[in-house]
Amino acid sequence: MALADCKRTMEMCCRCSCCKFIPLERIEGYRYADVCPSVARYNLHAYSGGGRIGMAVGMLEHRFEYSDSFLKVLYDCQMCGGCDVSCKYMMDMEVLDPINEMRITCVESGRSLPVLDRLRDNLRAKGVMVGTAAENRWAEGLDVPDVEEKKTKVVYHAGCRTRADQEQWNAARATLALLKKAGVDVGIARGELCCGGRAYEMGYKEDFLKAAERKTDQLKRSGAEVVVTGCADCFQALSVLYDRFGVKGGVEVLHTTEYFNRLIKEGKIRPSKRLEVKVVYHDPCHLGRLGEPYIHWDGREIPGHIRLFDPPKELRRGGRGVYDPPREILTSIPGVKLLEMGRRREYAWCCGAGGGVAESNPDFAAWTANERIEEAFSTGAEALVTACPGCERAFRSSARKHGSSMKVFDIAEVLGKAI
Amino acid sequence: MALEKGVYRAFEDIVGPDNISEEPAILDAYAWTGIVLKARKSLAPDTNEDECGRFALRCEAVVLPGRTEEVQATVRLCNNHGLKFKAFSTGWIGGNMVWEPGVIQIDLRRMNRILEINEKNMYAVIEPYVIGAQLQAELMKIGLNCNITGGGSQTSALPIAAHWGTGHTAHSTSNGERSLLALEWVTPQGDVVRTGSLGSTGEWFCGDGPGPSLRGVVRGSITPFSGMGVYTKAATKIYHWPGPATFPIEGASPSYRPSEIPPRFIIRYFSFPTMESRAEAMRQISESEIAFELMGFPIAMIASNMATSNQEERELFARLSKEVKGPGFIVIINGSSDREFAYRTKVLKAIIDSTGGTSLPAMEDPAIGGAQMWRFIRITASIRETFRATGDHSGVFPGHNEFVPVVRLARDIAKVKRELQKKDLILDDGAEAFPWTEEYGNLAHAEVLYRFSANPASLDGVKHLNEESVKLAVNERAGVPFFVTGDELHDIFGPAASNYHVWLRRIKKAFDPNGAADSGSYITARDE
Amino acid sequence: MIYDELVGIVGARHVAQAPEVLEAYSKDMSFSHPVMPDCVVRPRNARDVQKIVQLACETRTPLTPVSSGSPHFRGDTVPEAGGAVVIDLSGMKKIIRVDRPNRVAMCEPGVTFAELIAATDAEGLRLNAPLAPRQSKSVVGSLLEREPVLIPRYHWDISDPLACVEIVFGTGDVFRTGSAAGPGTIEEQWRAGSAQRASSGPSQASFHRIIQGAQGTMGVVTWASVACEVRPRIEESFLVGSRDLERMTELLHWLVKLRLVNECLLLNRANVAALLAEKWPDSCLEAKESLPPWVLLFCTAGYDYLPEERLDYQIKDIRDVCRRVGVDPVPVLSGIPASLFLDVVRRPSAEPYWKLRERGGCHDIFFLTVYDKLPGLMELMAGLAGDAGYAATEMGVYLQPIVQGTSCHCEFNIYYDLRDAVESERVRELDRKAMGKLAAAGAFFSRPYGESARTMMNRDAATARALTKIKAVFDPNNIMNPGKLCF
Repeated sequence: MALADCKRTMEMCCRCSCCKFIPLERIEGYRYADVCPSVARYNLHAYSGGGRIGMAVGMLEHRFEYSDSFLKVLYDCQMCGGCDVSCKYMMDMEVLDPINEMRITCVESGRSLPVLDRLRDNLRAKGVMVGTAAENRWAEGLDVPDVEEKKTKVVYHAGCRTRADQEQWNAARATLALLKKAGVDVGIARGELCCGGRAYEMGYKEDFLKAAERKTDQLKRSGAEVVVTGCADCFQALSVLYDRFGVKGGVEVLHTTEYFNRLIKEGKIRPSKRLEVKVVYHDPCHLGRLGEPYIHWDGREIPGHIRLFDPPKELRRGGRGVYDPPREILTSIPGVKLLEMGRRREYAWCCGAGGGVAESNPDFAAWTANERIEEAFSTGAEALVTACPGCERAFRSSARKHGSSMKVFDIAEVLGKAI
Repeated sequence: MALEKGVYRAFEDIVGPDNISEEPAILDAYAWTGIVLKARKSLAPDTNEDECGRFALRCEAVVLPGRTEEVQATVRLCNNHGLKFKAFSTGWIGGNMVWEPGVIQIDLRRMNRILEINEKNMYAVIEPYVIGAQLQAELMKIGLNCNITGGGSQTSALPIAAHWGTGHTAHSTSNGERSLLALEWVTPQGDVVRTGSLGSTGEWFCGDGPGPSLRGVVRGSITPFSGMGVYTKAATKIYHWPGPATFPIEGASPSYRPSEIPPRFIIRYFSFPTMESRAEAMRQISESEIAFELMGFPIAMIASNMATSNQEERELFARLSKEVKGPGFIVIINGSSDREFAYRTKVLKAIIDSTGGTSLPAMEDPAIGGAQMWRFIRITASIRETFRATGDHSGVFPGHNEFVPVVRLARDIAKVKRELQKKDLILDDGAEAFPWTEEYGNLAHAEVLYRFSANPASLDGVKHLNEESVKLAVNERAGVPFFVTGDELHDIFGPAASNYHVWLRRIKKAFDPNGAADSGSYITARDE
Repeated sequence: MIYDELVGIVGARHVAQAPEVLEAYSKDMSFSHPVMPDCVVRPRNARDVQKIVQLACETRTPLTPVSSGSPHFRGDTVPEAGGAVVIDLSGMKKIIRVDRPNRVAMCEPGVTFAELIAATDAEGLRLNAPLAPRQSKSVVGSLLEREPVLIPRYHWDISDPLACVEIVFGTGDVFRTGSAAGPGTIEEQWRAGSAQRASSGPSQASFHRIIQGAQGTMGVVTWASVACEVRPRIEESFLVGSRDLERMTELLHWLVKLRLVNECLLLNRANVAALLAEKWPDSCLEAKESLPPWVLLFCTAGYDYLPEERLDYQIKDIRDVCRRVGVDPVPVLSGIPASLFLDVVRRPSAEPYWKLRERGGCHDIFFLTVYDKLPGLMELMAGLAGDAGYAATEMGVYLQPIVQGTSCHCEFNIYYDLRDAVESERVRELDRKAMGKLAAAGAFFSRPYGESARTMMNRDAATARALTKIKAVFDPNNIMNPGKLCF
């Protein structure tokens, strides 16, 4: 779908500003009413979903050059989809897709951010966004088969972020330990390739498609029936994007939280150790609202004074992402008191890391993460638990930067402590 | 016309480099109105845009002041350099439109604080970018509520932000014009005026005096859309809220619903065999003072509001249309005590029985009715009723008067709407007017809303509807309608209405001799 | 001197130049400096008014409008400038319309409360009226002065119950405010079902607000429409007595917030006695001594819809509120039946006017404030009165929640012997000092009159400057009551 294909949906935007806020029904106070970190931080309307839509129409009408300032506005966006969910509470239109197409258009026009180009270049050259595919130091010493050598039923996909960030290794190791404890036949790819999902969001569509094909091949070769990942970005890429672009292959994609929850319900792991702690759970965007299954549709718009489609078109509105499994995991652990932040589930505040922002504007990413940490504190929680290495990195870095005492855990770590 | 570098720098010195832009792409985000301008005559003076264009003109720069002092300095700078300014809060439906070169847009987004909630004296003080949902949510925690503009609680809570400020609960919470207490106002020349008690004692409880009230010039039944300067803080009346501190909402977007309807709350939709019987029921409900909310929604709007997609809406509209007897209304009753609630519901039943009303079964279902109730209290889904169909929507707003004339005018405008529907120029969603009462029936307001797909034929039809509406409004003696803004319409209605346009122009000239405050949706001070 | 021209407009019978007449209009019961007008003209209708104003405009003759009969109290009807013509509208006594379905009445400036109440009563309506106005008080005059009214529940906005007016601006142009502006003549609007009930507008200004509080400095109003309420079928009223002002205001807050009551006001015992003195078999002094320091009167009502049941639940809910606040509402307090008291406060005062009965004179100091400030302001005023040699216990206090409880009208009534020059001077001095000190302590003089008006206006220079611009629009020649306020 090119930007021009989005014209009709973009013209639906009536500039109501709902995209700046969580769904109005869910606002519980003055604070924590914003959903869009971009406009909350930078305030200019252009930074909102609706503002970007307006610019997108401007792009189609060739109203301006793609200046550095324009690119800054476009890329100071975590692509979190909060605007999309809030808009779709009311409207039958897409917001995030056109914004993504704006980036793709810029990249295709030769205008992109050098700092993100470096990630793309690494992906092209080495099959991963950072480092090399062969770097799996997180798995050193672990007795886990390489699926390139021995087929297993389940393949655990760590993801680039986990592999490159030592502070995330605990989560990966805890995941494998849990899976093994549950008797799961699990392996990893020692030369794990990137899913390519982040490249897509950054606008490198062709690179994403190539990476997706490579990854799908790798998964096919592994012979696995299930790929499980603890990275929300990867989960979304493997389950949603791959499906959307027809490169999915036959493997079932699960996030670790879905899988752990299944295993707990099957009695294969039993959280029995008591952990006296008050926690909040942060819904990663790509596991939650963006992790909702893709809905294929092939039809036409019926001309008329109300936008209807033949066959009827169902929109992805964010409500069917993975929200309950992580919560059920936490509440199954004795002693854990699960609190909820005001912004949660399909209208959760972003961690700040997505869309290339962690690389292109680390200050903005840190600011976004700090907002979330403050929100976590406001509940009385002692720890913030989430299910994505990108989110964890964002929160840990921000906590450090701002001197916060909020502890940050991956859900696998917490569950691991309870076994 | 690009700003001279020195001028740009002067604005930058006021608000800081992060809070100003003249980047074309950013200005296009501001120029994007999202609505087809040719359909909005009253908000959109003729432009050279293409038939279905949705971009207004780009401003010279957009500035985002964070404090009143920055607003004042910005306005003064505009005066000094022969620039105009257009100030707005959320800037929806024409609130931020620019029509000529040389305009600085003043986006008040950074002024977004709730400054005071005075429980004992029932007022809240807010800045322009506090939205209705935020204020209401804070108020509900302490048993209070506010009036919210009918367009939705994503709009400013300021009772003088834009438009008229009537909304779903106006029956018991009045409207914007009459909710305003003290105001901090930066005039078009850059003076800071604090009205009423604010200017004399520093307190917000009264917006009038000493002597005559400046509330008389800062707005009327509709606001000046920045034509009289910038409103930087205001106190608004707040009201008792007998409901829960937070509504117990569950579910996932777009299908939220309360886990239970709070105690002492009820919502119903009643339809009537005739407009007269509905009018009589509304009159009696008004005089009995039992209702929290009373709005004459056409069933099409109910269907739109309930449905989470256009597809669902058409199916629901088809089904619900068969279940109603004729024109109807939503009524929400609540009570501060069980006794009060019992009394009110008993009276409601008696009134409905005596006027021949029929209850819509869907609304009696706690799951559906409860969800509807919360949407109508928080006002979250007006956009489903208006823009979701095609993104293009408009309406004729007869205004604000007594029930009988305003409803008759709306009914007659609706007949023109029907003609357009028969020619398939606009969506066929019934051709009912949409009336509601304010202040227990002291006042009434009505609208005729329509949805359409922007194409030249439909736009011609809409143009015809607007023109006929003007004629009907002049002829039917129902007051000056709310769609009357801008020189052209004022010049039509003014001579028919005590030449108010002459006085409005003189007021404008007195306060804005340099013509700095954009008057595209107000009136200009041109010579008589 | 435009006497002849005035005679040409209204006829000689309606233009007075007799010294005793001019003397009567040259002063009032305030401390305003007497200024003799040149003549007094009594228009018969709106056409007369317009011609008079146009004449005054051409000849730059100051005009001072008067609509109530004497006695006047505030100084706004006394010319400030020499060579003024008093335009006395008290003879324009037409009750133009009472419209029950739309709950609105329309009348000329000379109509008094007694007259309009009788007319609205007959149609099943009632006025939201001020506290026991004098017999000669003009309804239109009261509305234009933004006088506080007794039923805060129906006081949605400070301009209520004024709806629309027809005014001749200082330019000589006729204008109608709100929905009365048009389109159409008033008669055409009636035929169309309109009733001149919506006050805001027309369009993007709310002209009625500029006219209210203006003390006749913008123009001359020739009729006003006034919002009415449905007359109750049944009512029950109660009194609450207390020494504790804060408890009383807490009660007021809740009764108004929950919209349980209609009339609702708080008086100190001096004012209760002053209002009821004629009704008592005993002296005013004895009445004061038997009453608690504060007396709150409220009334609850049932209308056309299950009135008894409405009354019943409201009374029970009120009792719940009173229990929470820690007070006990009674139908009779210190021998005073609440129903009798209610009747006194909401009807025009019997003659002599209640404020003048005790000592012959009364000077009012009134302002707006919020509940929390009241104790401090009470204490301040008591101290100031004491310093001036005036016993605070002799002073009347009237507290009226307004605008649905968003503020409170606070009024000190200083009773004194008019004939006693020393006492009069003491009261005048007290007034001067008190206004300044009270304003500094947060009292908002929204309707400043007399000597201190200019001082109060100038406390807020920005507002004064803005008002001057408005004045220049509507009365560019400054013929309308020049010298008042900041003009």
